[in-house]
Amino acid sequence: MTEPVIQRRLRYGEFLSAVRVRQRRVSYKDVHADAGSRQTARGLRLIDVHRLLTPYVSVRFFEQLRAVVPLALFLALFQIAALRADVQEGELIAFGMLAVMLGLMLFMDGVKYGLMPFSESIGFNLPNRSTPAVVLGFAFLLGGVATFAEPAIGALRAAGGGVDPLRAPWLHLLLTRYPDRLVFAVAIGVGLAVVVGMLRYFFGWRMKTLVVATLLPCLALTAYAGFDPKLAPIVGLAWDCGAITTGPVTVPLVLALGIGVAAAAGQEDNPLAGFGIVTLASLFPAFAVILVGIGLVGEVPDPALLAPIVGADATVAWWDETPFAELVAALRAIAPLILLLWLVQRFLVGESVKQRNIIAYGVVVAVLGMALFNLGLTVGLIPLGNQAGATVPAAFSAGIGSDPLYPYPIGIGLTLVFAATLGYGATIAEPALNAMGVTVENLTDGAFPKKLLIQAVAIGVALGIAVGVAKIVFHWSILPLLLAGYTVALAGTIWSREEYVALAWDSAGVTTGPVTVPLVLALGLGLGKAVGAAEGFGILAMASLGPIVSVLLVGFWIQRGAQRAARGEV
Amino acid sequence: MRQRDEIVVLTDAVLITCIVQRGVADTVVDAATEAGAQGATIFYARGTGVRQKHLGVLGITVNAEKEVIYIVAPADHADHIFERVYVAAKLDTPGMGMIYMSPLEKMATYVPPEIAARFGHHG
Repeated sequence: MTEPVIQRRLRYGEFLSAVRVRQRRVSYKDVHADAGSRQTARGLRLIDVHRLLTPYVSVRFFEQLRAVVPLALFLALFQIAALRADVQEGELIAFGMLAVMLGLMLFMDGVKYGLMPFSESIGFNLPNRSTPAVVLGFAFLLGGVATFAEPAIGALRAAGGGVDPLRAPWLHLLLTRYPDRLVFAVAIGVGLAVVVGMLRYFFGWRMKTLVVATLLPCLALTAYAGFDPKLAPIVGLAWDCGAITTGPVTVPLVLALGIGVAAAAGQEDNPLAGFGIVTLASLFPAFAVILVGIGLVGEVPDPALLAPIVGADATVAWWDETPFAELVAALRAIAPLILLLWLVQRFLVGESVKQRNIIAYGVVVAVLGMALFNLGLTVGLIPLGNQAGATVPAAFSAGIGSDPLYPYPIGIGLTLVFAATLGYGATIAEPALNAMGVTVENLTDGAFPKKLLIQAVAIGVALGIAVGVAKIVFHWSILPLLLAGYTVALAGTIWSREEYVALAWDSAGVTTGPVTVPLVLALGLGLGKAVGAAEGFGILAMASLGPIVSVLLVGFWIQRGAQRAARGEV
Repeated sequence: MRQRDEIVVLTDAVLITCIVQRGVADTVVDAATEAGAQGATIFYARGTGVRQKHLGVLGITVNAEKEVIYIVAPADHADHIFERVYVAAKLDTPGMGMIYMSPLEKMATYVPPEIAARFGHHG
């Protein structure tokens, strides 16, 4: 038995007037006249703030989340599942990861709103309003100063601890006592690279010529240093530096200038104008760091005789404590860049920038983000990488009072597979590579599909990292690896077509983002310490060599396919 | 009988144009479809509003990249769609965009022959 349905009568007109939103008609003339006199947003309801902010923040946060979390999870799970070791201080590391993500989010936004308006305005106006010499001088300063603001450069300063002072004395000296010299060398290297890149725009040099002309002296110097036992340990660090420099600050700033210069030189239609600087910015610093090493060896004949650095005072000043130390470091990294851009904008371009409050917001957020990122670097990324590196050898070698977890060949294999997977995963997740893939697919009219590029680069990085890890585990010298790899790259460069050359060399720089670099650097140092290697550098160098070779090879393959197709048709 | 040289011209149509930030168009189209709209045309544009200047630092959260949505609706239906879209796109928050409605003199598109036949010849 069902209940009888009660019908309630409702007039359709009443229903409509209840459902409808009331419309009040106001003349736009009146509103317009009134709105002109108002200056600030009065009566912004809480819900309005929420509606405006939430999508904005969540999009940016998830961007970082997607890049960081899979990597961190992979490292932690590998450690737990394959190596049966717990992650030490898990909460602290998780907190650090959160700080890294928040910091990167804020920092990238800060760069976008605080720095990019300047560099776009300068890049557009400066080449027309001053002499080429001034432009080149500015390019040099910009490259150098931007290096200081690069988030990953902080990882270098923290890397000194993992080096054996007895077997690599000069390297240890450079990292612990003269880290500023190291950073300066890198900065000067990047500055010079930017200058050469700008000259390339002026004169329309071919990338191929430039690569050969830069690479040959670089390799010669590397070989010279590699055969000198005092200098040999520095080589790995030097080539790693190249990978560190080309990050999210330098590349867009320099490109904005480059586009302006290219336009002024009358080559704005050259589709490949954007490529090339990244390449040079990873070769020049290596050169500069080796030179600093040579200088250091000449200056300090015997590091062991140097008085040990007096330990830090027991009383730590308030500005050296955790939140302030990071803030000060961030300020020191970003302030010079802002100052340079502002001065040039003010006095050389002579135009005041619009929307000062938004630029101020950008600068504040960039500094805050950098500070948070540095904090996360110290408590999150570096310890995680370090731990993973330190526990990996347990897979194949006997620890203190314990047998190896796996038989030697399986353990070694597992380690290399771990390294390769890490490189592959980190590369696939890199947003810059995806963007580059789209550009390349368009530029080559689909001959070089995006997927193929991403796969080629990812496999190159994976193999590179695996070789780098093998270098540390087996105590190989990095010299033959570098020489052999770059000789292949050089040969490939000479025989390849111009666009593939630019593409291959730039893909090396694209892969090393601000999360991957510290993680891999710390991994190498932890691993080096655990297996008793003199130093744990070189993984990054290999990771940037790998994609150069792999992309060049794929380029060859495409070229041959095209030739064969052409011959087949005739 | 429908002749070959005849065009069925529809009258009493209204064009609803909605300008929102990039990425919001789907919400708008969904709301409009639910309210009875038959279709929508979306195109991309750039633009900044008067209001954005008054939002202060919050102004950066408003994307200058916009999506413009065209919806053609019958005149007696249009007010309903207009309201639903206004609510769904949260246009009562500054910076979110705007919506306007303009009368169309006439429109023409594919009209199924049996429907055209049902309404016969007017002229």
